[in-house]
Amino acid sequence: MAELLQHVLTGLGTGASYALVGLGIALIVQVTGVINFAQGDFVMLGALSFALLAGAGVHPVLAAAISVAGAMAVGALVNLAVIAPARGADHTRLIILTIGASIVIQGTALVAVGTKARFTPDFTPGELRLAGVNLPLQYLWIGGAAAVMVTGVWLLLTRTLLGRAMRAVAMDPAASRLVGISPRRMSFAVFTLAALLGGIGGVMLAPIQAPDPQIGLALGLKGFTAAVVGGLDNPAGAVAGGLLIGVLEGLAAGYLPSGYKDAIVYGLLIAVLLTRPTGLLRTIAVARV
Amino acid sequence: MTADTMRHEGRVRADRLRATARLLLPYAVFLAILLLVPAVFTRVPLYTMGNGVYMAILAIAALGLVPLTGFAGQISLGQAAFFGTGAYFSAILTVKSGLPATPAAILGMATAGAAAYLFGRYLFRVSGHYLALATLGLGLVLTIVASQLEITGGTAGVVGVPSLAPFGVELFDDVSYYYLVAAVLLVAVVVVDGLVRSWLGRSLTAVGDAPHAAASSGIDIAARKRLAFVVAAVLAAAAGSLYAHWAAYVDHHTMDLLLSLQLLIIATVGGIRTVWGPVVGAFVVVTLLQVSQELFPELSERVGGQAEIVLYGLALILVLLFLPKGLAGWASDVIQRLTRARAGADEGGAR
Repeated sequence: MAELLQHVLTGLGTGASYALVGLGIALIVQVTGVINFAQGDFVMLGALSFALLAGAGVHPVLAAAISVAGAMAVGALVNLAVIAPARGADHTRLIILTIGASIVIQGTALVAVGTKARFTPDFTPGELRLAGVNLPLQYLWIGGAAAVMVTGVWLLLTRTLLGRAMRAVAMDPAASRLVGISPRRMSFAVFTLAALLGGIGGVMLAPIQAPDPQIGLALGLKGFTAAVVGGLDNPAGAVAGGLLIGVLEGLAAGYLPSGYKDAIVYGLLIAVLLTRPTGLLRTIAVARV
Repeated sequence: MTADTMRHEGRVRADRLRATARLLLPYAVFLAILLLVPAVFTRVPLYTMGNGVYMAILAIAALGLVPLTGFAGQISLGQAAFFGTGAYFSAILTVKSGLPATPAAILGMATAGAAAYLFGRYLFRVSGHYLALATLGLGLVLTIVASQLEITGGTAGVVGVPSLAPFGVELFDDVSYYYLVAAVLLVAVVVVDGLVRSWLGRSLTAVGDAPHAAASSGIDIAARKRLAFVVAAVLAAAAGSLYAHWAAYVDHHTMDLLLSLQLLIIATVGGIRTVWGPVVGAFVVVTLLQVSQELFPELSERVGGQAEIVLYGLALILVLLFLPKGLAGWASDVIQRLTRARAGADEGGAR
């Protein structure tokens, strides 16, 4: 029983970071209609630059701030240099463009720092002992940061003008243009916001993932799975989906031969796409041509 | 018969002849280029004949993306999974079951096609870009499974895939193997070109331009997308079989995401809405690879041969932003503009 609880709790911890990645993907899909294949690389940038900076002796708080700002800058750059110039492009072309951006980000990181994994200590050493479970404190950090960020995004979307403008573009770009909201600016804002979420998720994950430039793919895929499980354009669903696949992965790591851990998550992605493409967590499927 | 009608009939016949010539001319030029490749690649120091074989194999594997991505607007990140399916079927069936190469390859293509059909049955029920995500997942799952199973040889792979001997002629070196691969490429180009010029291409264009109008005029959108996906899978599997017999060795890296990305880049950089796109794209990508290995040999060594991918990614972004029809699409636009300008000048002169 304690063992099961252990796997579920560590799963929830990593799942919280997948939730942030998935949330970023869902927000971009909702506002722009584009699946952003570079989202995992935002996470990689946050994690890798934090590990490098902290390893070089920079104060962790400063290192975290620089890493998150760096990820945001790259997110903004992807929008300005790759998405915005493609005027009149259909979604297929925009998605391929984000794939290109992902390739360039990952490749540049590889050329810059090599393939080596970078280890970095937990934010606060120690474990939480509770009912026979030893949970490293880092998992609490991840969970706490994710909770703060998800609440922040919810407040942004419901309580601020920017958030309402984003939602307006998500509902009807043409009509929002009529009332003076620029879909291009909202696209810029949502890419930056998604990169912020990814960057924070990356910083939080750095101590338990030992990042290298190639982790973006796996993390991005977990984000996609989270978002797809929740219904690709449903931000709340993406958060729930992230937690769900975190737990699933925790259980797979505990009870299945290693090596299949990732296959389980990707298998879930395929299974959901084949059976319930609009998401497990959506009760009413929206019929579309 | 008056002189007037005779002149008219003659003009009609000449027009028809010109139309046929215009249709066949690109194929003739392509055949000539294919035949010239061995002479050039064995003399120019930048290339080896192996590059020629590899280009043709990549072009075959990327060709199916023209109907699928260019016309149906669906992105596949799983071409390598089907490529690997073809490669593993050829390797396992010829090495372990002693089957001849042709039925082994056909079984691989059939399996890939059937898998794509089943995938398509479920995936295309709703619109959206789910195929990109599902094929990405499929590729990664199959890579993991292939590296774990016993029949695929685990991470060691399957070695000793026999070389091919069509009609009793053993293809022992890259030059002779090139002619086989080039022949398959030529056939594949003609078939896919025929497909996208036929009702399939027209209805897929309609689906892309106005899905609701297409559906209401009786086009089964899901079935068309599915057919495009099956064609892409079968061609990738065929390329995989050719690769297995050429490399004589297959492991789980044949299913690598890197290959799927490379194939998408090849098709997009070359031109996603014309069959000449993947051919041009394969040439460009392999050339970029050769040039970058020539210029920065120590760099590609340090990062495990992945430095080139930055170049590919940049090429992809630049082409999509500035030449959205790809290099081949852009070139055909230029040629069309030139011929139209010349025709205009001729007419002006006649008057």
